[in-house]
Amino acid sequence: MIESGFGIVYRRCLVAVPTLLVVSVLVFVVLRLLPADPLAMSLPPNATQAEMEEMRHDMGFDRPIPVQYAIWLGQIGRGDFGTSIQFRRSVSDLILAALPTTLELVAVGLTLGILLGIGCGVLMFAWRGTAKEQIADLGSVVVMSIPEFLWAILLILGLGVGVRMLPFIGRIDAQMTVPTTTGFLLIDTLIAGNLPAFLSVLEHLALPAFSLALGLTPLIMRVLRSSLFDTYVEDYIALARLRGLSERRILLRHALKNAALPTVSLIGVQAGFMFGGTLLVEVIYTFPGIGNLMVQALRNHDLPLIQGIALVYCVIVLVLNTVVEVAYLRLNPKLRKA
Amino acid sequence: MAPLDRRAFLSLVGAQAGVAALGLPARAAKSDAIAVAYSTDVPTWDPNARVLANAQSLYKCVFDSPINQAPDLSVKPSFAKNWRYRDAASLELELELRDDAVFHNGDKATAEDFRYTFLERPKAPVPQGGQKLDTSSIWRRVKDIEILSPTRVVMHFSEVMPSAVTWLYFMGSYIVPKSYMEKQGPEGFLKTPVGSGPYRLAEYQRGARIVLEAHDKYWGGAPKLKRVTLEIVQDPSARVAAIDGRRVDLAVDLPIREIARLGAEAGIVGSIDSITDIVIVEATRTGPFEREEVRLAAHHAIDKQAISKALFGGKAVPIDVPAAHKTPGYPENFHFAYDPNKAVALLKQAGFGPGKPAQIGFNTLSGFFPNDFEMAQAIAAMWKKVGIEAKLEVIEAAKYQELLRANKLPEAMLYPWGNTTGDPEMYAGYLLDPKSIFAAWKSDDMGERIQRLVVETDPQKRYAGYREANIYAVEKGYTIPLFQGVKTVAYQSSLGFTKYDNGWILPQSYTLKA
Repeated sequence: MIESGFGIVYRRCLVAVPTLLVVSVLVFVVLRLLPADPLAMSLPPNATQAEMEEMRHDMGFDRPIPVQYAIWLGQIGRGDFGTSIQFRRSVSDLILAALPTTLELVAVGLTLGILLGIGCGVLMFAWRGTAKEQIADLGSVVVMSIPEFLWAILLILGLGVGVRMLPFIGRIDAQMTVPTTTGFLLIDTLIAGNLPAFLSVLEHLALPAFSLALGLTPLIMRVLRSSLFDTYVEDYIALARLRGLSERRILLRHALKNAALPTVSLIGVQAGFMFGGTLLVEVIYTFPGIGNLMVQALRNHDLPLIQGIALVYCVIVLVLNTVVEVAYLRLNPKLRKA
Repeated sequence: MAPLDRRAFLSLVGAQAGVAALGLPARAAKSDAIAVAYSTDVPTWDPNARVLANAQSLYKCVFDSPINQAPDLSVKPSFAKNWRYRDAASLELELELRDDAVFHNGDKATAEDFRYTFLERPKAPVPQGGQKLDTSSIWRRVKDIEILSPTRVVMHFSEVMPSAVTWLYFMGSYIVPKSYMEKQGPEGFLKTPVGSGPYRLAEYQRGARIVLEAHDKYWGGAPKLKRVTLEIVQDPSARVAAIDGRRVDLAVDLPIREIARLGAEAGIVGSIDSITDIVIVEATRTGPFEREEVRLAAHHAIDKQAISKALFGGKAVPIDVPAAHKTPGYPENFHFAYDPNKAVALLKQAGFGPGKPAQIGFNTLSGFFPNDFEMAQAIAAMWKKVGIEAKLEVIEAAKYQELLRANKLPEAMLYPWGNTTGDPEMYAGYLLDPKSIFAAWKSDDMGERIQRLVVETDPQKRYAGYREANIYAVEKGYTIPLFQGVKTVAYQSSLGFTKYDNGWILPQSYTLKA
């Protein structure tokens, strides 16, 4: 059956509910089975055993796991993700404050990765059968074999410390302050009309976004080249040649759009992984996003915060999958309704 | 700021790209502003809520404690000008407060704020599912705070609390403004915290950035550095890169091996300093460690000097009791010898030898304090030489706490203990008191000794008692003290850095050289 864009969103929403429930049960139960005390790190040195038990009771950690889960689920139903043990603040507030940083970083990283991937993929195809193609192929294998966090460190050492070309700490220069309106600094600096700050934000985004992009670029590059090979054996390419169109025009106007479909699917999957990659990249570049927040939560065994962020990650991946599916539909006329 | 037109925009982009291409640092330091690569963030901007040791320097920038410490750790007045017990039983502590302390919002800090901070807030009921302030445990023995005048208060205790004065300059003891807190509510306060410390919080991004601006009306005079940006860089290598790339003026908690390299660079000073934190091997009454001979053998087998030389360039000061040198609880004339032969003999007495090594579990953290895992490996190797076979396992801090609470720690655990005050109660008083939730070793004989001291109000008798208790604990093998902790910093030579013997990083005490 052929679906419309709205149909896909509706179906995805229906699937999302049980998916989120399963994820929430898994995260909740696994965290509680770990041999680590969530309250242990949050007591002063002269606290007594009785005070510790009292705190455990106040926070409900002495109740059976199913009861704890039911209470937590009830809270989520009311839009309350609970209170962070470590930070003593609402989990929702913490996540909402951190989310724009991650979304901004991933958006720039994804854009950079897609542009570089498509550009290099097309170039690699154009160079087919030459030594340049072999070099590009080898280069893509090397880039792929290095994980994002290692790229992050290498880029800091090379471009940050070595030639001191780009900054690598935080989101903006230490001497600049921009009023927070949306949390997206690229937008906030423009709203404030502060161009030097905008440029500083761009500079600070360059290395972390590039670190993330490097995980995506070679994959897009290789899939796109492979799709282009498949596309070039189609009749319409031969027909385009017979019509006297230039090779450049055939590639960019006719082959690329048709070869893009597998690349779109790949981008959807990889964008989800890119969110995962932010965990270490945000820590290394001191970006206060949800990846950084998750690492702090894990270190302190902050159960309510870990649960909240895990659910947010899950929602993000579900949304991304939906977006990709809709994009796929838009790009592939065969799947559209008559 | 007026929006820029397209031409100006392109010019700026071009100029920026040009600067970047030239390889020049984008950050131009101002004469009264610095950037710091700091290792930890505050858990919350409510300074009474949590007592994490690493966050204390940050709180001290924004909030005032009633009493303070100088770089050499001598005690000095702060919000309280002077203090004394006004009764023989030490149940009434009278403090005279400053009349010129002002909060960042312009309100005057008074006795009402003191009462609110140390009595009303800690005793306030906790809503369902909420968490008590840590100060509610710390000050549970305060039954009332009497206000004699806007600058005079008396703390009334339900039981003696000989460490009360120490706690007034230790963790969690920061004055918060009563009227502002009540008006804003806890959540509002966290968004825009207000203290009476030398800096006000100008900007905060959790886990990433703290911007402090000088409090011009600070009673001690406005700090020389008007703006301090603390970049929270959790990764040690990134902190090294930050100072190496001259992106910051100061970087703290760097790997030991990097300090010498950084210090050799022109314009950077690297330093490894011994501080009042300590590193110990916590012993438990388990397996072979139930035998005193085995515990003592484990201590005699450790060559602390060699470890200090190999892992800390000789800068980690070995200790013989669980306290830092030159603190009141440290018996300077006591020495526990490194003697592997004696270790072998003790193990033989306990029935262990080359053919039958004492097999123990040995847990350590990794990356929690400098060279912790490497130190544990070195100790395990030294133990192996005398006949103790340690199964080394790396665990997380949260798991350590879980095992500690459940009395399930293995025979030995390498652990750091923070104490910025130097007061012996904050070392042995919590580490060796079986009633303490932080004590790994639990025995009645040690408990009796400590319990006598936690109610001893005569400071000299109290200190002498702790010195004796410390010696007793080591001679019984209840604890294996190793070293004082180290603080590693690297800073640009233009920064006038002030070293605190307890490792505090306080920008209010720094200057920038011309």
